[in-house]
Amino acid sequence: MSRSSYLQADTIALHSGYQPESDHGSRAVPIYQTTSYVFDDVSQASSLFNVEQGGHIYSRMTNPTVAVLEQRIAALEGGSGAICTASGMSALYMTFTTLCSAGDHIISSAQIYGSTATLLSHTLKRFGISCTFVAINDQDAIKAAIQDNTKIVFCESIGNPGLEVSDLDAICATAHEAGLPVVIDATFATPSLNRPIEHGVNIVVHSVTKWMGGHGVAVGGVVVDGGNFDWKASGRFPELTEPYAPFHGIKFWDEFGPSAVAMRMRAESMRDLGAAMSPNSAFLLLQGIETLSLRMKQHVANAHELMNWLLEQENVSWVNHPDLETNKTHDVATRLFPKGAGSMVCFGVEGGRDAGAAFIDALQLGSNLANVGDSRTLVLHPGSTTHSRLTPEQMAAGGISEDMIRVSVGIEDIKDIKADFANGLRAAKRAAGAS
Amino acid sequence: MELQVNGKLTFAATGGKEFDSSLPTVLFIHGSGMDHRAWALQTRWFAFHGYSVLAPDFPGHSLSEGDAIESIEAMGVWLDDFLSAAGVEKAHVVGHSQGFLSALELAHNHPEKVLSLTGIGTAAAIPVNPALIETAEVVPAKAADMMLQWGFGPAAQYGISAVPGMQPIAIGRQIMANNPLAVDLKACANYEAGAAIAEKLDVPSCLILAGKDRMTPLKAGKALGVALKAQITVLPEFGHMLPVEAPKQSLQALRAFISSL
Repeated sequence: MSRSSYLQADTIALHSGYQPESDHGSRAVPIYQTTSYVFDDVSQASSLFNVEQGGHIYSRMTNPTVAVLEQRIAALEGGSGAICTASGMSALYMTFTTLCSAGDHIISSAQIYGSTATLLSHTLKRFGISCTFVAINDQDAIKAAIQDNTKIVFCESIGNPGLEVSDLDAICATAHEAGLPVVIDATFATPSLNRPIEHGVNIVVHSVTKWMGGHGVAVGGVVVDGGNFDWKASGRFPELTEPYAPFHGIKFWDEFGPSAVAMRMRAESMRDLGAAMSPNSAFLLLQGIETLSLRMKQHVANAHELMNWLLEQENVSWVNHPDLETNKTHDVATRLFPKGAGSMVCFGVEGGRDAGAAFIDALQLGSNLANVGDSRTLVLHPGSTTHSRLTPEQMAAGGISEDMIRVSVGIEDIKDIKADFANGLRAAKRAAGAS
Repeated sequence: MELQVNGKLTFAATGGKEFDSSLPTVLFIHGSGMDHRAWALQTRWFAFHGYSVLAPDFPGHSLSEGDAIESIEAMGVWLDDFLSAAGVEKAHVVGHSQGFLSALELAHNHPEKVLSLTGIGTAAAIPVNPALIETAEVVPAKAADMMLQWGFGPAAQYGISAVPGMQPIAIGRQIMANNPLAVDLKACANYEAGAAIAEKLDVPSCLILAGKDRMTPLKAGKALGVALKAQITVLPEFGHMLPVEAPKQSLQALRAFISSL
């Protein structure tokens, strides 16, 4: 059960947002591959444009297949509504630009995905939105970073790739005391392992490309409006509390209350930025979500077995996963992730960068690519790829070392994963010996 | 818009248009624990089609200041004060659930101010289980859950929404859990005058009822309809939260009735 539905999570994943349609009784969610929707008459068209009734106008804003995915994810997270987007990065961009304008300021965890760090430190800066990066579990650091123009505290539920778990209860307490909402990228967690809204988080963002889809065949993002923040009481969000001229001076908070953010995004960002998810992608991502909890159980079980096995290997210099006691946020992970803190494992091999490269190149089953969350096992060297644009200081703050190998542990039989990794470690050992 | 009623700041939604008291006015009254947002998809149509709209939050609810009103009778008095403060002499009055009980009181006290009366998902009396009231006093969110699980019909329970991407249960929960739900429920539970008032009223009336209403069962709604001599529309597949879960169908019945007068 979530705050949006009285069904259990596994039932929500299969059913929420769709009941067999009346014309044909299609049991599966149909793909409404259409750009636009015929109006009954001019009066109905006018009503839709005036938001006098719900419905579809143009697939850049809404689409029936995409809406099923939105309502399903909103129900899984316990949010008041959701907006699906073309990618996880567009979901983040829309979130930041919906809540922030030129002259505003964001506080972000230092330990985040490289492209998000670039968005915050470079791209948004061009539009006058500044960012201070902090160690997100240091509440004093958050307090010290708050300015009069601060609008958001942002973090990832499990930092990428440092695997530091954000202490959501503490972060929310600090932010809310200052009248600030908390925005989280929960991609590494999925609602199957942790529901951030239940810990006070106000906006949840996912790259649904990853574990939510699980198949690695469709790119997409989602923004879930928690509906649990009083934007008026905060006093920092004229975007939501003051009249919005393009919609007859509508005040989103007054009009929509708990769905104010989602409705503003729909009305503004989807219309103006156009980062819409395709209906076909929504259909594919729905297929993945149907089995989310089953897959996450296997992802976590495999990650636990692999991390323990890696710890026993002689040329593995270190292993990191939030469920290991050596992870500095292990206690937080135990509290927030009772089913296990995801399936990302990072480790280093003796011999540094060359040995790491030899490990990755020797893998047969594990795929060397820039993605995470597939059902298949994926590996990457962050220092030379996803986080290569960061400065040495940013890399250190993000918990990234030169020898780090990032593994997104798949749901193959763990014996085969271990055999493949054993082969890679032998190659790494040879490379280390040769250098 | 914001106005002062009995010295307290009161919020009323106006359907996206400036309120104009020279136009025929439609007054929308929310149910227990809810607010003006329950009417988001009815008010805007009327506001854009020749009417002026007022959907107030009762005192102590969402955007209105003040203490929650403790009886339906007093809510009826407050509605009169509200109309006076807004400069409205007569209005079509629409109430959902508990909101309709207070509408009955307004019509009883000031029949000259009521052009028509519409009840949506309602009955002459709305008994409330004491356990629900006790829960609302201690953990409002839990009481809201109990009500919404009963209140929404089957499709909404499966996450079907009239507004793409939204989850009405979560929206309702957030609103109800932060409003004085227990006070409203007690007012409902204690109110017994509805049937007698309905018998005496002589005002054009309409009821829009839900076939799967478990809060104010269809049978009770129909009995009220007989007493009021009301035009009745039944939406068979929906639950008690008609304005939110069946906004299009509710609006269709409502505009057909009001437009016919």
